[in-house]
Amino acid sequence: MIERLIAASLWLAAAAFMQSARVQAEPYLAVLEGYKCNVCHVNPTGAGLRNEFGAVYSKTLLPEETLRGALDAWTGKLTDRVQVGADLRADWIRSSAPHTMSQQAFSLEQFRVYANLILLPDRLAIYLDEQVAPNGAQNEEAYVRFGNTRDGFYIKGGQFYLPFGWRLQDQTAFVREISGINMATPDKGLELGYEHAALSAQFDLTNGAGNAAGGSGYQATTQLIYTMPIWRYGIAGSFTQSRAGDRSMGAVFAGLRTGPIAWLAEGDLIHDASFPAGRTLAAGLLEGNWRVRRGHNLKLNAEYFDPDRALTNDQQTRYSVLYEYTPLPFLQLRAGFRRYRGIPQNNAENRQQLLMQLHGYF
Amino acid sequence: MNVFRAASGGRGTLCAEILASLGSRACVALIAAGIAACAGSGEGLDANGRPLAPEGSGAVPLSADFDSIQANIFTPICSLCHVGGGAPEGLRLDAANSFNLLVAVPSTEVSSLDRVKPGDPNNSYIIQKLEGHAAVGAQMPLGGPYLSASIISFIRQWISDGAQPSAVPAAKNLLITSIVPEDAERVSESPPQIMIAFNHDLDVSQIDRRSVHIERLMPDPSCEAAQRIAARVTLSSINPKVLMIWPSRPLVAGHYGLIIDSASPLRFSDLAGQTLTIRTENGSGKSVISSFDVEDPP
Repeated sequence: MIERLIAASLWLAAAAFMQSARVQAEPYLAVLEGYKCNVCHVNPTGAGLRNEFGAVYSKTLLPEETLRGALDAWTGKLTDRVQVGADLRADWIRSSAPHTMSQQAFSLEQFRVYANLILLPDRLAIYLDEQVAPNGAQNEEAYVRFGNTRDGFYIKGGQFYLPFGWRLQDQTAFVREISGINMATPDKGLELGYEHAALSAQFDLTNGAGNAAGGSGYQATTQLIYTMPIWRYGIAGSFTQSRAGDRSMGAVFAGLRTGPIAWLAEGDLIHDASFPAGRTLAAGLLEGNWRVRRGHNLKLNAEYFDPDRALTNDQQTRYSVLYEYTPLPFLQLRAGFRRYRGIPQNNAENRQQLLMQLHGYF
Repeated sequence: MNVFRAASGGRGTLCAEILASLGSRACVALIAAGIAACAGSGEGLDANGRPLAPEGSGAVPLSADFDSIQANIFTPICSLCHVGGGAPEGLRLDAANSFNLLVAVPSTEVSSLDRVKPGDPNNSYIIQKLEGHAAVGAQMPLGGPYLSASIISFIRQWISDGAQPSAVPAAKNLLITSIVPEDAERVSESPPQIMIAFNHDLDVSQIDRRSVHIERLMPDPSCEAAQRIAARVTLSSINPKVLMIWPSRPLVAGHYGLIIDSASPLRFSDLAGQTLTIRTENGSGKSVISSFDVEDPP
């Protein structure tokens, strides 16, 4: 055990000399296993608190070494009615860009706690996702959910993440950043969902992030996913009515497993009328995750962003390589490198990043 | 364990293998296409990826004034996300909106603090967010790279100096700066479009497309009425200062005028609400702002 921890520490130290990045897309696990999001997560659209099976998967199938006996009893359930979980991510990032002084820093990216209070089993629950650090507490999700999230209709009311494309952990992925729908931008409203066999569908009516201060407008978002054991595809659309200018978005996304590799792809097209004469933006993601062996994952990632389809010379790209090592249950180490490319006259669009991350969760 | 799997594992094994094989090749092809995708050359664009202004406005060095901060920080970095209907917290940081949504406006995350409190950078929420010690939420820009202390110091200084608005003189009247084809120009063939360039970005919501049109002008107006040319009017998607008029058919040889009808209830106006002022002829409410000739084909 001690040797294992030492090995993990040495690996972490060695990775400090590697180039690294800030990516961690958990949906690849769902693609690799052929699961829908609700197989492992309390939230039927994924992310946040893992359910009983998600906790078991995390401690038995994900890590290189399982600690037999030590964690057998732990499933995240404190009682039949209360389930809890947490995520803590600590980063070291070095950023460099042309003609700019390099930056590097350790940071606490997030410490989040989750709770699911089951009022009526499989019928009624209250869910909470609270970021408690860094800085002060910030509520990410807090909603009441009525209905069955495994088979049938359900409805959520409160604050939650919107369903739109792959729910990547990396909030800076072009498809998540440009769409503005990610795990940094929860919204308030209602979600009607339907889960049955291979089908997942959601329709959300919310305020719209851009209307937070305006007090008017709305955002309507819908998503449909069809999941099979080795492949899946989804479509999503969103419309925001806002005084700032309406915004329409569409996305297609797909996943495929080929042997030990899980592939993810997504393409987003966005029309934003807040610009004079409007502007159409496009973003794309291609990602391959190779499970080298149990507890080891190599992630390769290529992204594309066109900030204005009417211009021909303004596109941006981003490539990432990341190695994820899960030596023990509830502990993950990541290291990688990310390279941005954009127009040469913009330094920030041509930066590169090294990253290491320590991720503890349960 | 009651685990739901999306579909039965045993069914269609052969199909699955075929799909996997095809899918693997397709994925490799997609990855190759992704890797082959190149970043833009930036030709003809400024540092923010927008078309260079005709007057050739160069890069603005970073200094402690709003225009410089907008050009060097808010526009290239922040407005990637903080724009339009999807702007987080409703905070739009594009040039047209940032000042009005920042200065003396309470933060939505911590309503007791203004986003920018003139004269007090330490109690300005934007500084706390940029420096990473705000009471709520993540440090900005989200996911980094974060602004260095020296760059933030320019924003601090601007706030300490009272968070003054743009130093650019207040918007002048909306003017037409150029028209293509030029006034009195003779062109050898029908132009695919006529362009009217203004000195300010036009407010697309205020444009009355019926108030501008092309007329074929007759040599002797007393004998024959001017002929209005069917055309489509759009605002350039590349440059919001430019209005485009697209004749539905090529113009035959003749003398043409570009007409603005100032009697229209809605006229051209810019984002600051300045409207185009033109002199009309003989009280008709119409003004020929330019004329050109299309020559007979050789």
